[in-house]
Amino acid sequence: MSSSNINRPISRRNFLKWSGAATAAAAVGTGQPKVLHALTAAEGAAKGKDTAEKVFSICGMCLNKCGLIARVEDGVVAKLDPNPKFLKSRGMLCARGNAGIAQLYDPDRLKYPLLRKGKRGEGKWRRVSWEQALDYAAEQMKTIAEKYTRCGMLFSPGSDTQSQFVHRFASVFGSWNVVTHESNCLISRNRAYLDTFGEVPFADVLHSKYIVMAGANRFEALITPDSIDLMTARKNGQKLVVLDPRYTKTAALADEWHPVRPGTDLAFFLALAHVIINEKLYDADYVAEKLSGMEELTAHVQPYTPEWAEKETEIPARHIRRIARELAAAAPASMIYPGRRTSDYVNSTQIRRAMAIVNALLGNWDQPGGLLAARQVGLNSPSLPDAPWYDDNMMERADHGRAHMMFEEEGSFKHMRDAIIEGEPYPVKGWFTYKLNPMQSGANRAKTLKMIEGLDFMVSVDIAMSDTAWMADLVLPAPSYLERLDPISGLQGSAACACVATRVPAVPALFESRPVLWILKELANRLDLGEYFDFDMEWYRKEQLKDLPDAEKALAEDGVYYNPSKLYGIYEGKIYRTKSKKIELHNVRYKEMGLDPIPVYTPPKPIPSDKFRLVLGRNAMFTHCTTNHNRLLNQFMSENTLWIHPDSADRLGIGDGDPVVVKSPVGRESLKAELKPGIRKDTVYMASGWGALSKGLSGVHNTGACVAALMEDYADALSGNMAMHETFVSVARKGAA
Amino acid sequence: MKTQLAMVVDSTLCIDCKGCMAACKVENKVPDGHWRNWIKTDGVDFSMGETFSRMHFQPGNCMHCDVPTCVHACPTGATYKDEKDGVVKVDDRLCIGCGSCIPACPYGARYRHPEKKIVDKCDFCDHRRARGDLPACVITCPTKARAFGDINDPDSDVARMLKDNKTVRVVNRESDTRPNIYYMGATAPLNWPVKAQAPTPIRWWGDWAKQLVWAVVGINALGVLAMLGKQLFVNDPEPGHESDSTDGGKPVETEETDHE
Amino acid sequence: MLKRIAILLLGLGLIVTMTAAVMAADMGNERKGKYLFRKNCRACHQDGQSAPALNPDSKTQAQWERIFEKKKYEDFECAAEWVKLSDSDKADILAYVHGHAFDSPSPAKCK
Repeated sequence: MSSSNINRPISRRNFLKWSGAATAAAAVGTGQPKVLHALTAAEGAAKGKDTAEKVFSICGMCLNKCGLIARVEDGVVAKLDPNPKFLKSRGMLCARGNAGIAQLYDPDRLKYPLLRKGKRGEGKWRRVSWEQALDYAAEQMKTIAEKYTRCGMLFSPGSDTQSQFVHRFASVFGSWNVVTHESNCLISRNRAYLDTFGEVPFADVLHSKYIVMAGANRFEALITPDSIDLMTARKNGQKLVVLDPRYTKTAALADEWHPVRPGTDLAFFLALAHVIINEKLYDADYVAEKLSGMEELTAHVQPYTPEWAEKETEIPARHIRRIARELAAAAPASMIYPGRRTSDYVNSTQIRRAMAIVNALLGNWDQPGGLLAARQVGLNSPSLPDAPWYDDNMMERADHGRAHMMFEEEGSFKHMRDAIIEGEPYPVKGWFTYKLNPMQSGANRAKTLKMIEGLDFMVSVDIAMSDTAWMADLVLPAPSYLERLDPISGLQGSAACACVATRVPAVPALFESRPVLWILKELANRLDLGEYFDFDMEWYRKEQLKDLPDAEKALAEDGVYYNPSKLYGIYEGKIYRTKSKKIELHNVRYKEMGLDPIPVYTPPKPIPSDKFRLVLGRNAMFTHCTTNHNRLLNQFMSENTLWIHPDSADRLGIGDGDPVVVKSPVGRESLKAELKPGIRKDTVYMASGWGALSKGLSGVHNTGACVAALMEDYADALSGNMAMHETFVSVARKGAA
Repeated sequence: MKTQLAMVVDSTLCIDCKGCMAACKVENKVPDGHWRNWIKTDGVDFSMGETFSRMHFQPGNCMHCDVPTCVHACPTGATYKDEKDGVVKVDDRLCIGCGSCIPACPYGARYRHPEKKIVDKCDFCDHRRARGDLPACVITCPTKARAFGDINDPDSDVARMLKDNKTVRVVNRESDTRPNIYYMGATAPLNWPVKAQAPTPIRWWGDWAKQLVWAVVGINALGVLAMLGKQLFVNDPEPGHESDSTDGGKPVETEETDHE
Repeated sequence: MLKRIAILLLGLGLIVTMTAAVMAADMGNERKGKYLFRKNCRACHQDGQSAPALNPDSKTQAQWERIFEKKKYEDFECAAEWVKLSDSDKADILAYVHGHAFDSPSPAKCK
């Protein structure tokens, strides 16, 4: 501020004093109409003369869908508070949840449709009307369908409540090619648990007495209610053992931290199985009744002694043996936490299979403190017209056959990208993305750029100009979650609840932003597919709640409805969804397919002495790569750093805060070094989402380093999950030879 | 007994998620780069080996002290301890932004608001409490590490927690301001509060501050008069020095003490 | 066009190599099968309709195989519907329900 403007603070102060109510509206520039398409809390907590409106909704800053109450003052969302009645999120709202307002009123938001003017990625745009944008998109999609078949379009919905409509659009349009976020995240875990228990479990963290957490960072990568329940359980005496090459906050708050040699977790779990079996620490009756393949497993784990595992993992054998005994003593209320992001190694599924097998030996399935089966939530799937059949179309996904057991609904980003670059087995030339940013979340950014280079048409629907949108031909603005009426969400909060939650707009959509369902309907109309999208959200939500007569009232009053369905013992008297109809220690299908029916240990590639293994990880402020530029959250961390052990840094002449260059076989990035005693000497780490190419993301554009540009794109052989810990990098002080 | 709003914090529950900081920032429109609250940490110490090492995260904010050195430092009476609730507040209308109170706080709880040109700090979310809501940081906390209430009300949660648990107050030995944030058990770090700096007016009345006072007197004299008038007629308690005995003779801790 | 057929064959070849080990030999295309299942079976086999709800994961792979192998659908109430289906239609439907059966790698409801 200039000194000539000396009067300003005074007048500003008086302004605040005499027109305090106007300040909130002034913050966004334009006042919002005071119309709310919302369920409002009938009485709310409106004590005294509080005139603000309170709107129940669910958070959309990450995938958790925590319950919130938006406080709307004069048409402006002034504050988001946790919904105290929302059991899944335990009546809390984290930093990201609070920063939802900064997403809503983000100056970087996309405001109207933009059509590319210059070259892809050059950042030259022309504002167009919705009519022009939709006509153009429909025409491009039609051309692609005619030229390359309908499978020539790839659809990539992010983890969003309206993404289900993108899936529907793809099937109505006639493309099998749908790739979601999951193959850059957790599908290897899903694969492993599905192939052991026949379903993907929830973890009853709250009632567990002993938890081993490997490859998961629950106090930073927040999952509700697990993260909160973990602390509550710890307060009640639960023991937590963490394996991680990094001293994460979870490690810092655990009873034990074992800085495991990266890529050797499988050895640790095989050794746990070895101890539990050889010392007969399992329940023999349970094993006989519920498990299949105990004989094979017993023979299989004999070589995997704790002493052997010590050499691989660098975790002392005495600890491994003790942990196995302690786990077994606490069973069945003990567990190997199933984890979430499991996109790490080329054998990610087998690593998680080993974790699942130890869980099976603990007998914790469908039990308090163990792994939980899915409860009944009770939402109805609205009946919509069947997708048409196109005879003149490809018969398979383009990435088909590139991994042994891929998931149809999720696909594999790594393999799909390869297939598109190679043009095999057939050309895919169009890409529709919705709130997905694989430019930052998928390993090997150079390859993603190459894939985009070969496309005829790319359209991105997003809230802000992500790096992926930055590369598109057409960018369409979507509203944030606070401006949307969404399908009802059915949620299971582990042991906390099975519930139904609602998201209604706290304020109307800003600028020219439109929800993706509206966009898809408009496109369908232009592609003569209108009859398949002839419904609106109100009808859809009503249909969803058809079988839950009490839900509507509960949603209006509390913002959440609970289904008092069975929690434990769901599998009593039932068979498992596996070939043997039991929990499979030894997987029959794997054997038939020529895969290892029980995980076989293969050591990770050795790290060259002049290199480091690059690992990924989360913190509580950022959701993958989507909230780094958020004006509020960015103040917690304004750029990423390279975590490096002081001894390693010393060897390279690197001091704390020094600029360094990190090189991998696929990329080269610069950032500042942060000397951390809490990381292994052979490992380096950096947070995701930085070093953005997009100039539309102030704060992260050209700031810090993009980890996706450094990671090589290996894949888990079974699931096609990206394997993001297989890259070795060199580190040098910037300017040094 | 007089109301004394206070917090009892179980810092062993804190996971350093920054929820409280974000909530406070939005609720109180705290400008970029400034905070009304914080989470301290004792850092990593692997001297005893890696396996069983632990870290502490310690959430905090203005301690609403019984001996508020900031109140003593304020030349205009803008900073005062409210008799109604024991909360240390800044009256925006009287604050001239001189900043004397900033180094007078051992906890660094105050900052100069770059736009309002006044000093700002935590007031336990005065406006939220007025409508019956808890402070933003308390309600948003995932692990509910912060408990809030009147410690002089024996039926309050905080009073019960104080009674049933071993608690500590984090103070600088040379400036025991008798803070009203109590920490359960073995919290860390303990050595971070600094010695309160008494104001030396010359040092703190820099050039711009002088001009500001001129502005206050010259341009906004009406506002100041209005304030004075309000204080005279509405009979607000005189903002200023609070008696040290408001905690009813409760022992003052510099280290750990058992509350019976 | 020849290229497209070649690609198609390649795709089919991959399906076969992928699944031959697990599935019976005479299965068709599961995507077509899903379409046909919805068109021919689901109209009646769902909640609130005349027949019990039926999804791929209502039965195990072996159960589905038996139903299609024995060709005993003459006994079913919907035998008239079955007769209308060609052999390749039936093979497609079997591929679909088998691929998403109760004990398949990806058990699924028909949605």
